[in-house]
Amino acid sequence: MTIWGALAGGLVGTVVLTSGLRFAQELGWTRMDIPLLLGTAFTDSRSRANVVGYALHFVNGLLFALIYYAVFAAVGHAGWLFGLGLGFVHALFAGGALVTVLLPAVHPRMGTPWSDAEETPLLEPPGFLLRNYGDQTALATVIAHLAYGAIVGGFAAHLAGWT
Amino acid sequence: MQRIDGYAPIRDYALIGDGRTCALVARDGAIDWLPLPDVDSEGVFWRIVDAERGGAFELQPEEPFETTRCYQSGSNVLETTFRTASGTVRVTDALVLTDTSTLAPMRELVRKVEGLSGAVRMRWRLAPRFEFGRRETKTGRREGRYFACAGANGVLLSTWDTGDVDVEDGTASGSFDAPAGSEALFDLPLTHREPIVTPGRRGAEERLDRTGRFWLEWSSRTQYDGPWRDAVVRSVLALKLLCFAPSGAIVAAPTASLPEWIGGGRNWDYRYSWVRDASWTLDALIRLGYEDEAEAYFWWFMHASRRTQPRVQILYGVDGSTRTSEQDLNELDGYRGSRPVRVGNGAADQVQLDVYGSILEAVSLYAKRVGRVDGTTGKAIAKIADYVAKHWRDTDSGIWEVRSRETHFIQSKALCWVALDRACELAESGVIPDRSDRWRTEAEAIREFVDEKGWDTERGSYVRAPDLRELDASLLTLNLLGYDEPGGERFNGVIEAVKRELAVGPLVYRYRGEDGVAGKEGAFLTCSFWLAEALARAKRVDEASELMGELVALANDVGLLAEEMDPETREFLGNFPQGLTHLALVNAAVAIEDARREP
Repeated sequence: MTIWGALAGGLVGTVVLTSGLRFAQELGWTRMDIPLLLGTAFTDSRSRANVVGYALHFVNGLLFALIYYAVFAAVGHAGWLFGLGLGFVHALFAGGALVTVLLPAVHPRMGTPWSDAEETPLLEPPGFLLRNYGDQTALATVIAHLAYGAIVGGFAAHLAGWT
Repeated sequence: MQRIDGYAPIRDYALIGDGRTCALVARDGAIDWLPLPDVDSEGVFWRIVDAERGGAFELQPEEPFETTRCYQSGSNVLETTFRTASGTVRVTDALVLTDTSTLAPMRELVRKVEGLSGAVRMRWRLAPRFEFGRRETKTGRREGRYFACAGANGVLLSTWDTGDVDVEDGTASGSFDAPAGSEALFDLPLTHREPIVTPGRRGAEERLDRTGRFWLEWSSRTQYDGPWRDAVVRSVLALKLLCFAPSGAIVAAPTASLPEWIGGGRNWDYRYSWVRDASWTLDALIRLGYEDEAEAYFWWFMHASRRTQPRVQILYGVDGSTRTSEQDLNELDGYRGSRPVRVGNGAADQVQLDVYGSILEAVSLYAKRVGRVDGTTGKAIAKIADYVAKHWRDTDSGIWEVRSRETHFIQSKALCWVALDRACELAESGVIPDRSDRWRTEAEAIREFVDEKGWDTERGSYVRAPDLRELDASLLTLNLLGYDEPGGERFNGVIEAVKRELAVGPLVYRYRGEDGVAGKEGAFLTCSFWLAEALARAKRVDEASELMGELVALANDVGLLAEEMDPETREFLGNFPQGLTHLALVNAAVAIEDARREP
């Protein structure tokens, strides 16, 4: 029951996170496009990449919800405020390592700071705290992940009966 | 080579690079320019903008010498041969490519010294000065090797058979004999935000050889067979060095603040990706068969402009950033006193409507030659065309990004027509959503404006703007981009007017009027190549070939060209080497060859 709660929170949280970042894109705050970044690891067609990327992002959202749940279970406490805190840590991890270091390292179409004249990558690397994708990208990422964390924490607490 | 006040003539530099950063090597063996870690970073060697304080890596014979230089065949690996009374020595310089199969430095400068005859006493001096001297460079020895660092940047010098290393006042130096058959090596790994990797001699030499092989293999793919193949191959190799591999961006030139007139204030930072220049570079790369680079740039552009689309900023940082604020480094002397030294570029906020014509032309060529444009991208391109249809009546700063008031530049309007014309073509072939009825209507309105308000009957040519009744060499681009019928009255009228009013021998000025910036400037080499291309498109092939021959001969000893040239002294001016000049050379050479082959 509590795992399903976390997964439900992960689903709703990912919808909010993805939509929030999409709004940030449309408002011109950031060029970061998570579905595109994920999807182009598998195809160089933007349209297909977006479809694949959205699917992957939702899977990731659910996986991270399980990690959140593991933390809640270990501590024995869940709640939107605790989730908010985890969301902040999640954002730092995403902006400081996951998208900025690990993704370029495995992405076949993304450049890295070590790419040289022998390579012609199709996507620029995000840079530390994603700043290559716009100055306000880090802020948008933090806000989106805070929302995600609060939702996962709230759902897990409510469905588990933890407070 | 004679330095003046410590400054080498711009003509006496050669360029080396690795797709991430570039260095300028003077004929006397000194490396006077090297930003770290990337081409748009602050300098670690920057003697071109301050001969006294700027860092450099000198390497030359102790006795008087003469120099000949060349790149290794089809390569960006430079060979400088010093001839002295005592013998001959060859120095091979390269920023080597990273070998990802092994642990290698993130950036690496290799200098190999080979004794060819006799025995020459060589001297060297390494003085890194990070961040244009704004941050103190700490130096010393680590495990017997010279190191220098500032903040997150650092270098560590490894030497083999180059004698003892003396360290004094933050500078490493030494001297050694280079007898016939000897080989000495300097390896300078450079790092940024990570530990320095210190390779062994064999690894450094292998990467040097591998780098030469890569460049030769890469340049051998050039699809051009004509009388100027050497110049075209050298140009495309130079353009490749301007491609920033981590993102796919293409910078206009690898230097900042080399002056457009000695002692003047027209000193700009060109280490940004101008959408116009890069779109034309994409055209040239596609025409020469370099589709991977063209695709990488196309993806970069679509991503970099994502935040502002359908409006497009005229230039972006190589990382796609819009942070390009201009800054004067008043503490630096400037090249031969040309002040201020500027980094960053304040033109980023200008409106230049002509960029849309360059973009749509590039997209059109890309769609025809390289491959598909997917639905998402197609929609974005169509929105750009909509933006042009809505905004072509606005004033702008024009292709030369003048800093005087905005006006209705005729070249900008005509390029808006090009944008809408190409959009209609793309829509007809199903590449982008079809809103061609509106685009065609607006294109006709633009043509009416240009033909009525922009044509000067007395002069027999278009003029710069309805309120600026003077000539502008950029009007040649109307011919190059198919605005007028090739060989027609208006087509030839512009050619003759440019020759009459703006040309000095083979050189052509951009314009003679004011542009809001004080001081003189030289003739603009790109305009000369545009003239040659226009002549070819007008089927005046002999004239075009003659002019092309004269222009190619203006290149320096290693085939590179600057932005501008003093018509009297033939001295190079402006940032060097200039991508726009070299891509204009490529396009002119291809156009002449096409014209020669057509019946």
